[in-house]
Amino acid sequence: MNYHFDWTPIWAARGLIAEGLLLTIALSAASLALSTIIGLIVGGAATARSRTVRACALFFTETMRNIPLLIHMYIWYMAFSFLRLPAFSCAVLGLSLYSGAYVAEVVRAGIGAVGRGQMQAALATGLTGLQAMRLIVYPQALRIIAPSLASLFSQLIKDSSLASVIAVGELTYQAGAIDGQTFRTFEVYITISLIYLVLVTAASQLVLLIPGARNEAAAGRFADA
Amino acid sequence: MPDVILKNLPFLLHGLWLTVELSVWSIVLGTLLGLLVGTIRFVRVPVLNVLAAIYVEIIRGTPLLVVLFITYFALPALFGYRTTAYRAAIFGFVLFIAAYLAEDFRAGLRAVRPTLIQAGLATGLTRWQVLRHIILPQAVRRVLPSLFNQYVRLIKFTSVASVIGVTELTGAGLLINARDFHPVTILATIAIVYLVVCSALSLAGRALYAQFGVRT
Repeated sequence: MNYHFDWTPIWAARGLIAEGLLLTIALSAASLALSTIIGLIVGGAATARSRTVRACALFFTETMRNIPLLIHMYIWYMAFSFLRLPAFSCAVLGLSLYSGAYVAEVVRAGIGAVGRGQMQAALATGLTGLQAMRLIVYPQALRIIAPSLASLFSQLIKDSSLASVIAVGELTYQAGAIDGQTFRTFEVYITISLIYLVLVTAASQLVLLIPGARNEAAAGRFADA
Repeated sequence: MPDVILKNLPFLLHGLWLTVELSVWSIVLGTLLGLLVGTIRFVRVPVLNVLAAIYVEIIRGTPLLVVLFITYFALPALFGYRTTAYRAAIFGFVLFIAAYLAEDFRAGLRAVRPTLIQAGLATGLTRWQVLRHIILPQAVRRVLPSLFNQYVRLIKFTSVASVIGVTELTGAGLLINARDFHPVTILATIAIVYLVVCSALSLAGRALYAQFGVRT
């Protein structure tokens, strides 16, 4: 091994790295919000009483989950090019639909774990179905699924690196650019891989700030989705 | 079938074949490595245990694309060897999936009841025999669903190999699209192929679990 380490070009390119990091955070945050909304709606629909609604929810999750994320991105970027969406929006849409299906599966399992009696009691006290879901079932389910959500969200952050292939200037994209200019291949990729590690660890700690989530995490991780 | 697909069918099929090849190699080697690392962490082999933990944490915190860049560009530069995109992709996939599988295996190993281990030791089996004949078979059967989840995930992730220039299914589709420009048809076709392959594998996993699985 006679590789000559040289970290100065990496430090010199810190502006680009910071720019990429900010875009990665923005991309992940936007997709995280949208995929949570998708997950809550579809996951709720998957526990609906109507068979048609359940079938639609199942169809959605199965198709979205079983198509590679890269294809999701290319579909929004190339196949729907007539929409003229900016690359960033394509990446958010692709990431959200893909991860949303995973969130939906977790939400469905969480709702299932809350117990039928809770819903029945809520309805008996005069709440409407939607109120019962919003006030009684979802808060409890959220606490149960917090650890799984944490691992899904850290996956989402890592998956956001694929946005680089449709030219979104996030962290991985900038790494490629820096590598192309400086040829410090090893140093560049080790640096950004450590940045991702920090980002992912921080994000999974954030999810556990959901009130009561820490106890559930201690009680044993919920099955990974 | 649309013309553009029919005309390029041999090329697409070759791409599908490469996807299958990549997946099979990565799944087989990744499972072996994952089992090894998971067992090392379960048994707490001195020194190796710490190395295994570092490996798992780093890989699980790194995006697959970055892992592929490391195995394709960074490691060959660092150690001065030559590699092909195909081999670097398999190397990256194995490193990547094994870290996740190791955690699954470790969880499965820890879920085996300690009384069974004590009973095994009491009947005069060595610790290695207990591990091999009593703990591992149960642990593997217990984690079948997570294993198949990871396998399905890996098959989808093989599409990322197109980024470093492997002409597997996605790479082949992108090349055809660059020449004939029918993005909707081509991407839809590829998406459906992945959908079928992945759904088939998860159904197979469910059937296998129904047959051999251990429920807690």
